[in-house]
Amino acid sequence: MQHPLPRRGLLAGLAAVPPLVALSACQVQGGADEANATFPTRAVDFWVPFDAGGSGDLISRAVAKAAEEPLGESLPVTNKPGANGAVGLKELLAGKADGYTISLAVKSLFAIGPLIVDDPDAVVIEDLRIITTLTNEGYVLVVHADSPYQTLADLLAADQVNYGTTGVGTGSQLSAGLLFGLAQVPATDVPFDGGGPTVTALLGQDIDAASLSLAETMPHIEAGDMRPLCVFSEERSVYLNDVPTAVESGHDILVDQRRFIVVPADTPDEVVGVLTLAFEEAREGSEYGQFLQDNFMERWEVDGIEAELHLAEATQQFADQIEASGVELGTAE
Amino acid sequence: MDFSSVLSGFAVAFEWQNILFCLLGVTVGMLIGVLPGLGPAATIAILLPITYNLEPTAAVIMLAGIFYGAQYGGTITSVLLRLPGEASTVVTALDGHALARRGQAGPALGIAAIASFIGGTASIILLSFIAPALAGVALAFGPAEYTVLALIGIFLVGTLGNGSIIKSAAAASAGLLLAVVGLDPLLGTPRFTFGTDQLADGIDFTIVAMGLFGVGEILYNLEHRDRPQTAVPSFGRAIPGRLHWLQSRLAILRGSVTGFVLGILPGGGATMASLVAYAVEKRSAKDPSRFGKGAIEGVAGPESANNAAATSSFIPLLTLGIPANATMAVLFGALMLQGITPGPGLMSDHPDVFWGVVNSMYLGNLLLLVLSIPLIGLFVRMLKVRPGVLAPITIVITMIGTYSIRNNAFDMLLVIGLGLLGYGMRKLGFEPGPFVLAFVLGSLLEASFRRSMRIFGGDVSEFVQRPVSGTLVAILVLTVVVVPLLRKVRTRQTANAEEEGVRAD
Repeated sequence: MQHPLPRRGLLAGLAAVPPLVALSACQVQGGADEANATFPTRAVDFWVPFDAGGSGDLISRAVAKAAEEPLGESLPVTNKPGANGAVGLKELLAGKADGYTISLAVKSLFAIGPLIVDDPDAVVIEDLRIITTLTNEGYVLVVHADSPYQTLADLLAADQVNYGTTGVGTGSQLSAGLLFGLAQVPATDVPFDGGGPTVTALLGQDIDAASLSLAETMPHIEAGDMRPLCVFSEERSVYLNDVPTAVESGHDILVDQRRFIVVPADTPDEVVGVLTLAFEEAREGSEYGQFLQDNFMERWEVDGIEAELHLAEATQQFADQIEASGVELGTAE
Repeated sequence: MDFSSVLSGFAVAFEWQNILFCLLGVTVGMLIGVLPGLGPAATIAILLPITYNLEPTAAVIMLAGIFYGAQYGGTITSVLLRLPGEASTVVTALDGHALARRGQAGPALGIAAIASFIGGTASIILLSFIAPALAGVALAFGPAEYTVLALIGIFLVGTLGNGSIIKSAAAASAGLLLAVVGLDPLLGTPRFTFGTDQLADGIDFTIVAMGLFGVGEILYNLEHRDRPQTAVPSFGRAIPGRLHWLQSRLAILRGSVTGFVLGILPGGGATMASLVAYAVEKRSAKDPSRFGKGAIEGVAGPESANNAAATSSFIPLLTLGIPANATMAVLFGALMLQGITPGPGLMSDHPDVFWGVVNSMYLGNLLLLVLSIPLIGLFVRMLKVRPGVLAPITIVITMIGTYSIRNNAFDMLLVIGLGLLGYGMRKLGFEPGPFVLAFVLGSLLEASFRRSMRIFGGDVSEFVQRPVSGTLVAILVLTVVVVPLLRKVRTRQTANAEEEGVRAD
């Protein structure tokens, strides 16, 4: 019987641990901790606060795979969907800020969400720290190929337009809503539950037009089933070079979806540094680049401070434009 | 249709490694189908990283196998434990479980497996010949059509209960009410979310089903664990007898066609298919009162329908790039990660993937049938386990399954809460079936109706003016108003005639 002795020894050792833990905790707060130099020592959980199979999920899987080598650890992807990402991000904030859990986040949650519902408990970008920015995905206004509207001007001259959106609080709703609102075209928005049903409704000609992401529309544009009228990006899309921007057509509307990776704001600097470097390298990977091209996404690669500034500016711009246009994004029927 | 690409699809499907991935997929699918709460969508999401380094065709063959394999497996828990994991197997649980209680679990599962096989295979044949033409069917269904379809479904839910109609209606109404929880689909206003984001997207169907059927039923059974079981199941026969086959062959045929057609509709297709198949069998039966007490047609019809629907739900994904349900959405993602865009160009750009996957389903269905028969005997033995032992195991698996849906601990609390509700309902004689199905159809009805009203500018008469929704309205009026009225008149006439006959004597 040799077991009892080592066990007792272990217990004694454990009893001695608490003061040590407290001591090292002080050091962590002080900023310099040798343990952090070896981050990461185990797998880093990559949370996707959206359903499996969607654009956000696919980007995350592509970039997580590319980051495994530079980080030297695996990055298992877990879906934590709910409330446009708020459920997953709140759980992230409730957990440890040690860098072993990171999450995807999207611009619409911070820039459009607050314009829909005034929620005092909403996740704010100040609670988070952006470790990497990933993509910029444009929206394109499309009509059915058989539609009488050949150009944006035709559509805006219509007596009444029913336009589909991918849901309340999405860039799809905001871009089309602002366009029709600022141009004072009588238009009714018909929110659907995501991209698939909106595409179905447009192909079935239940709605006249819809603003959708390039990934959702390009296969149908290429197949000749949909006609693009304008894009809502600052410059023409590299994937749709002959389609004018809304700005070119005289409508000052810029709406896009941007995706980035976050950790809780109080994550140690060293840890954030390691993660940022790993993802910067991951973004250079050829497979990741191919993925972006296959899915009609453009790169958005800026530092965290510039990204936060962009989010703040976009929020202000959207709020001003919504007020000017008189559009209601879902407050009254 | 280009026959050479169909044939080369067979060559792809029967490459040895593709056969292996097909076998792997259907086996995993069947197993997770059996485990309550664990769904194909979550499983495929977990397995996605494994597929990165596979050939696209092999990857999708395996993932598709998980999807339709889960349909086979889900039937087993529906019948044995009255624990439907998917909306489309809720109606199977009604008569399937009643048969199991009468000691006929073996034949019930045997017929279910055969019905699934026939429904699935018939659906693949139809898909191969007319898939491109059928893409249009999915597009012909807009918000107006879904509104009427959901309404028909909700009326059909009323025909399910075998007890008091008022109690069925009350349960269904409660289900409709629960469906409004979450953000308003058109306005984004939080409804009954109690200020938490956890309820913002509403409650997942699986959670409601696991609570009301699963936990509720387990609690109820535990209370009765000292009493002798109502019937001791017989374990001998897994292969159904001649009589069962005669009773169910027409049901299988009708169910396959119903399932194929309704399965094409993205959103609620498979649920509606099983519901319609059940209602058709009940209406066309000589003695409808047998239903709900263990009618084998009540298993055969919906089972062939939901498997046929599972196959035809690939049509919108493969031809339009529109995922019909959560599982299809993950499959869509799997294809995208392989650099293949599902949609209008798939069949011409990647015929090997399209036909390889479609043709692998023949093999997959055959494998499932072969796997099912010996496994049924094994699973039926599960009923021999004492409730006191089986209950905690089932609860643990249910909780793991529930967590896997959103990787969210809050959902486990919801299941327990709904389980208590289910227990209360069971005590008071309310059926969970109508509640759960009304819950599924309620959100479809509400959102579709309000979308329609926006598109129509508030003019209700447009529902009748559009060809497809007009036809559906006619079907609704016929089945809900005209047929019952005629039946009433006829019974009155026969009663009068009998009376007169008595008088004449």
